[in-house]
Amino acid sequence: MTDDEHEAVRDLLAAWAFGALDPAEEETLAPHLAECESCAAQAARLRETVRLLDGPEPSAPAGRNNGALSLALRARPTGPRVAAHAAPYAAAVAGLKALLPELEGRWTTPVVHDWDAHATVAHLLAADEHLAGELGVDARVPPSRIEEGTHWEDAWNRRSADVIAHEHGRTPEETVADWAAQADALLATAQAHDPELAARAVTLMGMRLPVADHFLVRGFETWIHTDDLGRALGLAVPPPPPEHLERLVRLAVRVLGLALGPTAPPVLFSVTGDEEWVLGSADEPVQAELTLDPYDFCLLVGGRYAPETVPRGQNGDAAAVRNVLERAASLSWL
Amino acid sequence: MESTGVTSAPPPADAEVHRRLVYGDESALAEVYTAYGGLVRRVAVRVTRSPVAAEDVAQEVFAHLWSRPYTFDARRGSLRTWLSVLAHRRAVDWVRSEARHRKDAGADDSALQAIPDAGPGPDETVVDRERSLLLHSALAELPQPQREVVHLAYFAGRTYRQAAVELGIPEGTAKTRLRSALRSLAETLADPPDPALERGA
Repeated sequence: MTDDEHEAVRDLLAAWAFGALDPAEEETLAPHLAECESCAAQAARLRETVRLLDGPEPSAPAGRNNGALSLALRARPTGPRVAAHAAPYAAAVAGLKALLPELEGRWTTPVVHDWDAHATVAHLLAADEHLAGELGVDARVPPSRIEEGTHWEDAWNRRSADVIAHEHGRTPEETVADWAAQADALLATAQAHDPELAARAVTLMGMRLPVADHFLVRGFETWIHTDDLGRALGLAVPPPPPEHLERLVRLAVRVLGLALGPTAPPVLFSVTGDEEWVLGSADEPVQAELTLDPYDFCLLVGGRYAPETVPRGQNGDAAAVRNVLERAASLSWL
Repeated sequence: MESTGVTSAPPPADAEVHRRLVYGDESALAEVYTAYGGLVRRVAVRVTRSPVAAEDVAQEVFAHLWSRPYTFDARRGSLRTWLSVLAHRRAVDWVRSEARHRKDAGADDSALQAIPDAGPGPDETVVDRERSLLLHSALAELPQPQREVVHLAYFAGRTYRQAAVELGIPEGTAKTRLRSALRSLAETLADPPDPALERGA
């Protein structure tokens, strides 16, 4: 018997002992083990090790247990059932809550702008407050002194800065508790459950939109900042579920269309897997085509992609395409 | 159409399940349980020898996945392997803490023997039971690449070739890892028992 033969057999013995060989391979071992004492001894030793791991056959196989997930559902209760228009926000809130335990001890990690993780959650507390106030949910942070007639964007930024300063005087756990309580209250409103009530248009962040769409915007912003937090921690935050992403895309396309106005050079815009829209002037022939992945489009609109670096397919007039991309990136909702 | 940049790759099945878990889709948890509940309990019962304890371990494992979905990263390995490894570690911890508990309670005879329905059965000697726990503790401490192949080949019943495909490694590498792993385990038995384990620490 050659050394090579022994080596070939020994190479397979561990897999054999674990029962991890193909039947055909297993058959090739048998003749050698029958003849070679030293290989057989090693095989016996390895099998004995696996036998000890095995132990005796369990006397009673573990039965099917209907309550098998009860501990899981106590540890993380499922979110409230809401109408379709509020579901993306409900999912985004659940997604941020799922990330929060990973922030333990890392609350001072820089995240985005000049915010640390604590400030990022404080910002969401401030950002959700506008819709909460509109729907009769009480504010959780003392009001800021912002003069009547301040432009919405200034008022929005100052309120965010005030709330962040206020929350930095508290513990991250307190901020999280207030953010979560406000989010839960928003999801418990009648407007989160009743599409008819949510059809009423209100002006928030300078946009007059149905309450249903403002819920979508809340979901969008919550997800974008959760993604920011994930990046800061080195964790990959998954894109929202496809049906939610689709709703976000459609809303963003509508807002983008309004922002471009009726005179922009028309561009045939499509999102992979969704429909096509002509953005810009309806009176001229289409000058270019632009295709984006839905996830990338949302990141662009959320300000997380520069217009020149967002992955895309394009042809036709490059300036018309650039105009659309730049406008999308500058929507600055978030 | 001219294309610039790379668009995000289509997500494999584990990544899709992870997405649903993250966003609080309870049906994803139920699906994961249907797919891997059996494996998780099989692993746990091998270590604990107790169907009741295995049930508790399974509860903990799925509660951990559901409440801490970010502790699983689909870029680093499959959900199957991750759950199997987690179940094994929890089961080893359970046996250790049970043994410690019994000793603390002043039970002087073999602590393991005193565990209700987890002691050595008629087919198993006390020595075998202790050696088995020694082996499972050593298995839990193997380097991750070796541990993953052992979990797929041994607990999940894959051939080493299937394990290689699932892990995206060459077949020869899977075979070598099994060999190194089993050699370390066999050596554990040759060494005198770990005094820390004897104390049930």
